[in-house]
Amino acid sequence: MKVAPRSHDKQLLTEDAQMPRRRLLTWLSSFGLFASVILAAVSDWLFFKPRVTYGPNARFAIGKPDDFPPGTRIARDVERVCIVREGNKIAAISTTCTHLGCIVGIADTGFACPCHGSHYDQDGNVTGGPAPKPLPWFQVTLAPNGDIVIDKNSSVDPGTYLTV
Amino acid sequence: MSTPTQEPRTALATLRELPQNVWNSIFRNPLPSTDLERASTSFTNFFLHIHPVKVNRNTLRPAYTMGLGLIATFLFVILVFTGVLLMFYYVPSTTQAYDRMLDLRGTVAFGIFLRNMHRWSAHGMVAIVFLHMCRVFFTGGYKKPREFNWVLGVLLLLVTLFLSFTGYLLPWDQLAFWAITVGTSIAGYAPLIGKQMQFVLLGDTTVGQEALLRFYVLHVAVLPSVLVLLMAIHFWRIRKDGGLSRPEKAASPAPDAGVVKLKKIYGLQGFVRGPFTKLGNVPDDSVYSWPNLLMAELFVFVLTISLILVVSLAFNAPLEQPVNVMHPPNPAKAPWYFLGLQELVSYSAFWGGIGIPGLMVAVLFLVPYIDRTTHGVGKWFAKERLLANTIFLTMVILNIIFIVIGTFFRGPNWTFVSPF
Repeated sequence: MKVAPRSHDKQLLTEDAQMPRRRLLTWLSSFGLFASVILAAVSDWLFFKPRVTYGPNARFAIGKPDDFPPGTRIARDVERVCIVREGNKIAAISTTCTHLGCIVGIADTGFACPCHGSHYDQDGNVTGGPAPKPLPWFQVTLAPNGDIVIDKNSSVDPGTYLTV
Repeated sequence: MSTPTQEPRTALATLRELPQNVWNSIFRNPLPSTDLERASTSFTNFFLHIHPVKVNRNTLRPAYTMGLGLIATFLFVILVFTGVLLMFYYVPSTTQAYDRMLDLRGTVAFGIFLRNMHRWSAHGMVAIVFLHMCRVFFTGGYKKPREFNWVLGVLLLLVTLFLSFTGYLLPWDQLAFWAITVGTSIAGYAPLIGKQMQFVLLGDTTVGQEALLRFYVLHVAVLPSVLVLLMAIHFWRIRKDGGLSRPEKAASPAPDAGVVKLKKIYGLQGFVRGPFTKLGNVPDDSVYSWPNLLMAELFVFVLTISLILVVSLAFNAPLEQPVNVMHPPNPAKAPWYFLGLQELVSYSAFWGGIGIPGLMVAVLFLVPYIDRTTHGVGKWFAKERLLANTIFLTMVILNIIFIVIGTFFRGPNWTFVSPF
């Protein structure tokens, strides 16, 4: 009762010996495929995230301090900031609602949003409605030529004023 | 036929036979007159072979499917046709888009009519796709082996909603601008990548030219392609899963099945896996697709297009004032199917816009993997499915309630108003 011929055994052995190599190659190529998928996803993301935007500049000049006499509260809807001047201190508060991006209007008590009814006080703190965060304050600086420059990319702590 | 001694053909004979030969080369079969010929024709015809040769009688019951999937498909076809025509006159530019809307009204022949058809079909498609999902749920159609087709269906619903959302911005009117401002701000609330996602979606920090261009490309190229691909797989799987879901009873052969006559030769069709492929002529409760299914489809198509034509003649698609980036309308409302979402958002931006909708979509995807029971398939509101149906119906009603509140009971500053 011989079971299998010798040659067959030999063949099985060689097949066994080949298996780890094949498995390794399968693993390596699968890894390569996986890595290229990740690479493609990352490069897609980089492609779709613009490096330059064509919208309005985040840093802009709004005029001389004298254009805003003490006691001014002017909402500039184009730039979406409210210029506040108290005495010789100037600040810029965002008028983009922190809820869903509508433009808040100036109300007697501070700011009010027409879209979903959020309310803010004079300093932009939430007093009612669905807004989750207070209105941010933007950095205000003086340019060498005396212009007030607002940088919407950098926000400062509420209550931070530029003294002019 | 062809023998070496064949006489040379005269040029005249070739010319005389030309029209017939061209015709035969295109259509292969003569106009069929028997069931067998019709079956063979639909098997070899590109446009007809999407149908099986035979369908179950239950599939053709109007009260079972209500033709909702078909209506959704036909609405999509109308949307593609009218959409491509509108593209000839539309420019995705913030300075021109609105003027082009006015041109559609004033100078383009049938312009307003095409826009009406496009807008009303889009509204219709959102509603019908949703109703189609309800039909499949209430008849238990998502159960094994159709689980993944349900998942594809949910994806199709999402793509439909996104298509509608991207199309909403294109007229560049007040409603469009502020609805997209609100909508993309909701995306900004997604955890971790929310702000980045909003930036990539808009291509800028605010809604502007980049956003219009991006939404346009998504609307006319990317999303329709995705939708067509998903639709193709959706349909293909219906065939591979053995047709539409139906009661157990309808699936088995009729009791008075006569002598089973096995064919000698099986085509490839005979070996396709699936519960409904028959080897040989097993009598069952099925009828030939041509003419039964084809006539039903034609009927649904005529009904759909007539309705859209009538509605488009009677009502004009809304167009608000041109965009004024400084003055949001008060209240700024999204299209009706997003008003439930907007109502939720007015309570909490994260939970209303991301948390609850995300959870609901996740549950929708998982429905066939949560409910593993196999009974009550193929019957509206089956008793055995009372619990599942009640839960789903509650969700549907809640959704509708929120939409109704958002549509009729919200006034300036999103305060509660009575429409009466």
